[in-house]
Amino acid sequence: MNTLAQTTENALILLFTGDPELWNIIAISFSVSLRAMLFATPVALVLAFLLAYGRIPGRRIVISIMHTLLAIPPVVVGLTVYLFLSRNGPLGDLRLLFTQTAMIIGQMVLCIPILLAMGHAAFQGADRRAWETALTLGAAPWRAMFTVMHEVRFGLLAAIVAAFGRIITEVGSSMMVGGNILHYTRNIPTAIALETSKGEFAQGIALGIVLLLLAMILNFALTVVQGKGVITA
Amino acid sequence: MMDQARRPLLRYHELEKRFSGDLLFEIPEFSLHGGDCIVLSGRNGTGKTTLLKILAGLIAPDKGWVECGGKRYSWPKAKDHCRRNVIYLHQQPYMFDRSVAANIDFGMRLAGVPAPARRRRTDEVLAWGGLEYLAGRNARVLSCGEKQRVALARAKVLSPKALLLDEPTASMDKEACEKAYFLIKRLQSEGIAIVIAAHEPQAIRRIANRLLQLDAGKLIDQTVLKVSDHDDAPRECFRE
Amino acid sequence: MAKGTCPNVDHGPMPSEGRFHMGTASLTWYSKNLTKPFTGFARPLANVLFIAAAMFPGIPGYADNTTLRLATTTSVDNSGLLPTLIPEFERESGYQVHVIAVGTGKAIQLLRNGDVDVVIVHAREQEDKLIADGYGVDRHDVMHNDFIIVGPMNDPAGIAGLTAAVDALQRIADSQSLFVSRGDESGTHAREKQLWGLAQINPAGTWYRATGQGMGETLQIAGELDAYTLVDRGTWLAYRQKSPLTVVVQGDERLLNYYGIIAGNPAKYPDINYQGATRLIQWITSAPAQRLIGNFTIDGEPLFVPELISR
Ligand SMILES: Nc1ncnc2c1ncn2[C@@H]1O[C@H](COP(=O)(O)OP(=O)(O)OP(=O)(O)O)[C@@H](O)[C@H]1O
Ligand SMILES: [Mg+2]
Repeated sequence: MNTLAQTTENALILLFTGDPELWNIIAISFSVSLRAMLFATPVALVLAFLLAYGRIPGRRIVISIMHTLLAIPPVVVGLTVYLFLSRNGPLGDLRLLFTQTAMIIGQMVLCIPILLAMGHAAFQGADRRAWETALTLGAAPWRAMFTVMHEVRFGLLAAIVAAFGRIITEVGSSMMVGGNILHYTRNIPTAIALETSKGEFAQGIALGIVLLLLAMILNFALTVVQGKGVITA
Repeated sequence: MMDQARRPLLRYHELEKRFSGDLLFEIPEFSLHGGDCIVLSGRNGTGKTTLLKILAGLIAPDKGWVECGGKRYSWPKAKDHCRRNVIYLHQQPYMFDRSVAANIDFGMRLAGVPAPARRRRTDEVLAWGGLEYLAGRNARVLSCGEKQRVALARAKVLSPKALLLDEPTASMDKEACEKAYFLIKRLQSEGIAIVIAAHEPQAIRRIANRLLQLDAGKLIDQTVLKVSDHDDAPRECFRE
Repeated sequence: MAKGTCPNVDHGPMPSEGRFHMGTASLTWYSKNLTKPFTGFARPLANVLFIAAAMFPGIPGYADNTTLRLATTTSVDNSGLLPTLIPEFERESGYQVHVIAVGTGKAIQLLRNGDVDVVIVHAREQEDKLIADGYGVDRHDVMHNDFIIVGPMNDPAGIAGLTAAVDALQRIADSQSLFVSRGDESGTHAREKQLWGLAQINPAGTWYRATGQGMGETLQIAGELDAYTLVDRGTWLAYRQKSPLTVVVQGDERLLNYYGIIAGNPAKYPDINYQGATRLIQWITSAPAQRLIGNFTIDGEPLFVPELISR
C-alpha cells in the first residue's frame, strides 16, 4: 500500500512530467467551467443588479430562493439536469446528454445562485449615490449599472471567484450529465472520483493538487487586487 | 414678474410626491431660468432633497409634467429632459473610486467627447477649480471641501443648464464655504441656473436672487422679503 | 488513468461539421467589439472570459453521426480492456466512441431511454427483458469471464477452496461474517442476488453491507472491513495488487459471467446512431477484435475469454 508521502511524490512527478492524459483532463475542466462562467456571470450579475436596484415584484422571494439554492447538492442539480436532457425529458430532442454542453448547463445552475446571492449583497452594500451620480452625469441606465459594478468590483470578483471555486470542484453534476467520457467530459473532479475508485491514488492526488494550486492562485490574486482598492466612504 | 420676459429652461407643473400614501409636497408650478440663483430652504424632512432629485430626473414624482423647449413631457419621458439639462450634487458628493481627473473625465467620456478634447477640458476645469494639485489622487480620499469642489468641476465640465446643490456647505468650515461659494457664483455668472437647498438659509441669502421655502408640503416664494435689499439682476447678487 | 493513446489532447472530440470554430483574427475582433459595453474592470474580465471560452471547442450536440455512445459496465472499462479496444475501432471505422462507464442496470436504462447508442453489459435476465420490450436489438455474446468470491486471509466463514458458490454464501450467512454487496443494480449485484436466492437466504443484518458503489470502491471497502465480496475476475486482477483480500471461491458454473453487446432499437429512436452501433457489433465480434480480447492480460493473466474464438 502506498503511503501518503509516496502517493504525493508520484502525483508531483505525474504533474510536472507533463503527463498528457492528466493535462487533457485539466484542460477540459477549465474549458467547461470557464465557459459556464462566461455564460452565467453576465446574466447573473445583471439580475443581481436588478434585484438590488430595480423594483421587481417578488424580489424578496427570488432572493430567498437563491439563498436556498446555495445549499443544493451538485448531484441534485445533476439529476435534475439529467432528467431534463434525457431523451424522454422535456429537452431530450436537443441530444445534449453526455456532452460538455450538458456539463456547462449543470455548472451554470450551480454557480448562478452564488453569483446572484453574493452579487446582490455587493450591490446592496453599494452606495446608492454612485448610481445617482452616474445618471446625473449623463449615463444611460445600463452604463450607470456598469459604473456601479466598477464601484463594487471587489465584491463581484469575490462572487466570481467563489462561483468558479464551486463549479471547478463539483463532481456530482458533471459525473451525472457529462458521463465522465475520456478526452471529452472527464474533468478534474470526475477523474479524481474515477481514479480513486480504481485505487490510483497518485492520479487523484495530482489532480487534487491542481485544484489546490488553483484555489491558492485565485485567492492570492483576489487579495492582491483588493489591496489596491481605496476603502473609504 | 421678472421671468415673464425670458423663457424658462425647464418648467415643472403640478409636481406631487408621496411616500407610502402620505403627501410630501404638492407644487403647482416651478421654473428654472438661466442665471437663476435659487435658495430652497425648509426644515429637516420637508422634502428638499426629494424635490431636487425630482427636478434632476433622478426619482419620479407621483404626478407632474415638464415643459422643455416649448414642448410638454410627462413622466417617464420627462426624466430624460431633466437629466440632460440638470446636474444634481449630493450633500456629500459621491466620488468614483478612481483619480480626480478620471472623475472629471467620466461624463465627457459618456458624452463621446474625443480624448484630446477631454484631456484639455479636464485640465481647464481643474485649473478653474484650483484643483490641479489633486489631479492624480484617488478621489475617495479627499476632504469634504475638496470633494465638493471636484464635484462642481465634474459638473461644470459638462456645461449643464442647471445645477442643483443639496446643502453644499453643511459640513464645511468657513474657508471651504467661501471657496465653494466663489465657484458657485462663477457658474451662475456663466448663465447656469443654480438651486441650493439649505435648511439654514441665512448664510447664502446674499447670493440668491430667489428665496423659496418648502413648508408643510407647499413651496412658498419669499423673494419679496428680499427685494428691498437686492437688485434682480443675476450678477448683482454676488457683487458684495 | 487509462494508458491508451491521447489523439487530441486539446480539442476534445474530433472535428465535425457545424462546429463553432474561431480563428485568431475573428477572435480579436470579437473580444474588441463584443465586450465593448463592458467598462472599467468588467472589460478585461469579459475579455479574459471570452477568449478563454473561444479558445476551446464549441458546443457540439450529438446531431452528427460520427460519434457513437457506448454505455458499459465499469468492469469492462476500468480493467483497461476498452481503452485497448476502442482506439483500434476508432482507427478502423472513423467513429469517435464516447464511453460512459456505469453499472449494468444504469447502462440498460440509458439504452432504454435512447440516451446511448449501444451497450456492453452482463446481466442476461435484464438484457432479455430489454430486448423483449423492444428497446434493444442485435444482441451478441462478446466474451465471458467469471465471478469469484474474495475474502480476508483468515477466512472466518471457512469457505476457502470451495467451488460451490451457493454453499459458500450459506456459510457466510451462517457464520455472520461480513459481506459487502455492490447494492447498485449492476450485473455483479444481479448475479449476487440470484445466488442468494438459490441459497434461499434473504441477506440482511449487520453482517451484510451494501455500498451502492462501483466494483473498485466495493473491493476497497471490503478490503478495509476484512469482508467477503463477489467480484468479477477482470476487476479483481486489476485491483488485487492493492487489496489485502484473497480469492476464496472460484470455478462454479454459476459464477460464469457473460458479456453481451446490444444496439438500441432504431424503430424506437430513429436518430440514434444505429449504423455506428452495428459497425461496433460487427467489429467486436470479428476475429481480429476477438483476438485482441483474448490477448488482453493484466500481469500476464488473461481477463476475458472471447466468445467466438473459444467456441
Ligand atoms: N425612499 C424613501 N422612502 C420613504 N420615505 C422617504 C424616502 N426618501 C425620503 N423619504 C421621506 O421623505 C421625507 C423628506 O425627505 P428629504 O430627504 O427630501 O428631506 P430634506 O428636506 O432633504 O431633509 P434634510 O434637511 O434633513 O436633508 C422624509 O420624511 C423622509 O423620511
Ligand atoms: Mg436633504
